[in-house]
Amino acid sequence: MSVDDASRPVRRLPWQVAAWAWLACCVVVALHQFTFWRTTHFDTDVMALLPQDEQAPEVGRATRQLADQVTRQVVVMIGAPDWTSAQEAAAAWRQAIASAQAPLKASALAGADALRDTLAFYAPYRDRLLTPAQRTQLERAQPGGLLQGALAALAQPGGGFRLADWNADPLALWPQWWLARASDTRARPRDGQLALTADGLEWIVLLQETTGPAFSLSGDSTIADALARGQAAANAAVPGARVLAGGVPLHAEYAAARAHLEVNTIGWGSVAGVLVLVFLAFRSLWPRLLMAVSLLVGVAMALSVTAWVFGQVHLLTTVFGASLVGCAEDYGLYYFASRQGAPGQPPLRLMSTLLPGLGLALLTSVLGYVALGLPPFPGLRQMALFSVVGIAGAFVTTVAWFPWIDRGTVRGTRFSEWITGGLVRYPRFGAGRGTWIVHAAVLAACAAGIARIKVDDDLRQLQGSPKRLVDAQREIGRLLGLASPSQFFVVRGASVDDVLQREEALKARLDARVADGELAGYRALSDWVPSLARQASDAALTRRIEDGVIAGVDQVLGESQRRAAFDAAPLTLDQWLASPASAAGRALWIGAVPRQDDGTAFASVVMLRGVRDFAALPDIARSADGLPGVRWVDQVQSVSALLGRYRHTMGLLLAAGHVAVLLALAWRYGRRAWRAWMPTAVATVGTLALLALAGQPLQLFNVLALALLLGIGIDYGIFLLEREDAGAGSAWLAVVLGAASTWLSFGLLALSSTPALRSFGLTLLFGILIVGLAAPLYRPRTLSIPKTP
Amino acid sequence: MIGIVRAAALAVGVLAASASFAASPASAASAPAADGVRLLHERLKIAPVLKGEFEQVKTLKGFRNALVSKGEFLVARGQGVWWHTRQPFETTLVVTRTRLFTRNPDGSTGDLADAQAEPGVRQVNELIFSLLAADIDALADKFAIVAQPVGAAGWTLALTPRDPDIAKFLVRATLAGERDVQTVRIEEARGDTTLIRFSHQAPATTLTTDEAARLR
Repeated sequence: MSVDDASRPVRRLPWQVAAWAWLACCVVVALHQFTFWRTTHFDTDVMALLPQDEQAPEVGRATRQLADQVTRQVVVMIGAPDWTSAQEAAAAWRQAIASAQAPLKASALAGADALRDTLAFYAPYRDRLLTPAQRTQLERAQPGGLLQGALAALAQPGGGFRLADWNADPLALWPQWWLARASDTRARPRDGQLALTADGLEWIVLLQETTGPAFSLSGDSTIADALARGQAAANAAVPGARVLAGGVPLHAEYAAARAHLEVNTIGWGSVAGVLVLVFLAFRSLWPRLLMAVSLLVGVAMALSVTAWVFGQVHLLTTVFGASLVGCAEDYGLYYFASRQGAPGQPPLRLMSTLLPGLGLALLTSVLGYVALGLPPFPGLRQMALFSVVGIAGAFVTTVAWFPWIDRGTVRGTRFSEWITGGLVRYPRFGAGRGTWIVHAAVLAACAAGIARIKVDDDLRQLQGSPKRLVDAQREIGRLLGLASPSQFFVVRGASVDDVLQREEALKARLDARVADGELAGYRALSDWVPSLARQASDAALTRRIEDGVIAGVDQVLGESQRRAAFDAAPLTLDQWLASPASAAGRALWIGAVPRQDDGTAFASVVMLRGVRDFAALPDIARSADGLPGVRWVDQVQSVSALLGRYRHTMGLLLAAGHVAVLLALAWRYGRRAWRAWMPTAVATVGTLALLALAGQPLQLFNVLALALLLGIGIDYGIFLLEREDAGAGSAWLAVVLGAASTWLSFGLLALSSTPALRSFGLTLLFGILIVGLAAPLYRPRTLSIPKTP
Repeated sequence: MIGIVRAAALAVGVLAASASFAASPASAASAPAADGVRLLHERLKIAPVLKGEFEQVKTLKGFRNALVSKGEFLVARGQGVWWHTRQPFETTLVVTRTRLFTRNPDGSTGDLADAQAEPGVRQVNELIFSLLAADIDALADKFAIVAQPVGAAGWTLALTPRDPDIAKFLVRATLAGERDVQTVRIEEARGDTTLIRFSHQAPATTLTTDEAARLR
């Protein structure tokens, strides 16, 4: 059929139109690139890569809200055996940070005014606020006992634990209520700073905020460097002082620095590899120049379109995208290898001959990348879009421009002749018995390997932070007794008060867990603003009890006190939200959410503190059973489950994809189709076996990589079948060069510090190698006699 | 998290301050320390264990009459304070390094604060012990101290809090005495005042078994 194509004159007009139109596209992208690089903000948040629960938008809102609180916060904890040396170490740390001119500043602690204002805000509602223990105590107490206690407190020295006038809080209930609110963290003010005692050490907590941009494109780790200097200074001042640092900016900066390094190694490594291959294979200048242009256009277009569609480009996308180089240059290589193999043909005619095969190759690669975007992970979709646009950009550049710009002849080199000629010596599977025996042996070996495969869908595959950062983070959370941001209850209700009431029902159950020691406590909005019913009953209770106590004290001491007046109206959520007093708990309120069938339209979060045993979480989660509107959310568990589900689905899709590709090939190549398909099929099975033998657990990312392997690997089979008669050895040259550069790119991706990308790269590293080695084994017989260029 | 920590700072700043204040008169009873360090060291003799009787007159906002109470006390340096009110009600306040609790006539105890549950208690109690040990450096961190001689053997000592958290509650504590602390006067920001007079003070070097049991 290529013979027919070659004899037909090529219509130049559509081609010209395409070339100019493509130039216009490139100009637009270039303009966008200009603004993009000046104002760009790459996304570093791993959460951005995770799927959103479309069934429950409030879960996503809650997660984001909890995360937004801490995006700029760095927490440093300095521990020493005694308070004086802890202070010395902290002073040394502060001085080192100040002199390092790091983009950090100490967060302001609550000032005296904030303290007074918050007390003043709550004072009118003091009678409506009780802790669960106080409520029980007041309900059960004998009036005489409470009176005795009140009199004893009056006799004791000093003012006692009082935050209000005696007649506004005769039983000193309020300080205990505040103490319960303060249990959100174990850090306490001490000598003008935050401190706590734990593990036999005195700790000083230094809250810092980053002042600079979220992260720098330069890949510097200014915060980490400054913190290291601070730690060294603290250790110099107090040998053996422990310094822990945690916070989102540290992870973000680490990710940015790593990504910067990886984009550079993978991107430039691949570019260098491709250029070296092109240099070795083609003696002329044009191939080298044009290949670079096609890569540049592909990557620029990928960046622009991704930024345009997603608003932001995630750093991991650029890391993954850097490996695109190895894929996108396949088309150009195929073109130039064919030019070399058919020196007499005018470029345009040659291109029109190559187009069907190139198009099919592009289609399979695009399908491979599209498969990557099927799971509902925004990060994967971004990578898929980036890659599809990137290879399509390189493809169009090759097809629309190369024939016009490329002039003269593409002379071969000794290297290209060596590869072209090498095909003759390469073994080939015939129809004999040997073929069957070899296949049976390979299949048995693979089956043995695959039998050992382990499955692991742990979400932590996405976490690329080093262990020391993760450990320090966990340690800080434990020492401060912070609530877990990834496991919580979401409470929905038809109205604000409905939400609060449902929270209180949940809290009653959680209180039992707290009593059992399973939990240290919880954080809930209704702790700060109880439901109207709860406020009314607590107000009635305190009025009854306190009126009695005051009357008793009056009688005993001969006084005539009256209980202070409180606000007759309840504390409402709106009032609270409008006041600075809500600073601590505001993130717990999600607010209005889309109305659901059960009529719920508002939601809040109830967080857990100090979970004793994380294995008991499913049990704690059952606290929500039977409570309307209460739902347990475990981000780690649900995303891991999602990863597992999609690993399964994508595995089935991969099998279906193989069948579909085989059918598509059969449609074009008839009975020879299996020769194009076999190398990829063998590589898929072989890779699974190799991964299992290497002890790599099977994850969604391996399966996705195998889908991509199908898209890329088939190209090589296609190239070899396409040029069967016209440019036998040249097709082989294109396959060798293409596979080598793709292999290099994904091989470099296997060095990534992000486990997901690493397993992706590793899978393709194995896969492409096998495809490259296997493809010529399945070449059609005619390919054994290459034409000499 | 800043929000949470701020809230805690807020709430506990209030508590730590009020707790330290609640405890300070009892502790100051035996251990003033000051700028005129030498003066005090010459005139004030601090025994490891001191016991005696007290009379306390509290003037509280909203109360027509002053609240007068009488009882006995025991201060053991580094170990604790036992403050036993006999009149008009039987009640005992105990401060140790880790706890602050009341003991009722029936022997039952009620925790006002526990260092395990509330870390601020430990700081408060450390403050008390630094007062007891006449640790001037530690006191000078938290209080501006002015000491003045009175006559040939007497002295007064005015402690003004430097720590703004404490200053929100405590305006001034004034101690006066000779070989022993004789009076302590507390002025609260809320307008309440407390005057404590000590008498029948008896120094000792160690606690008896019985006394040690009171601090547990």
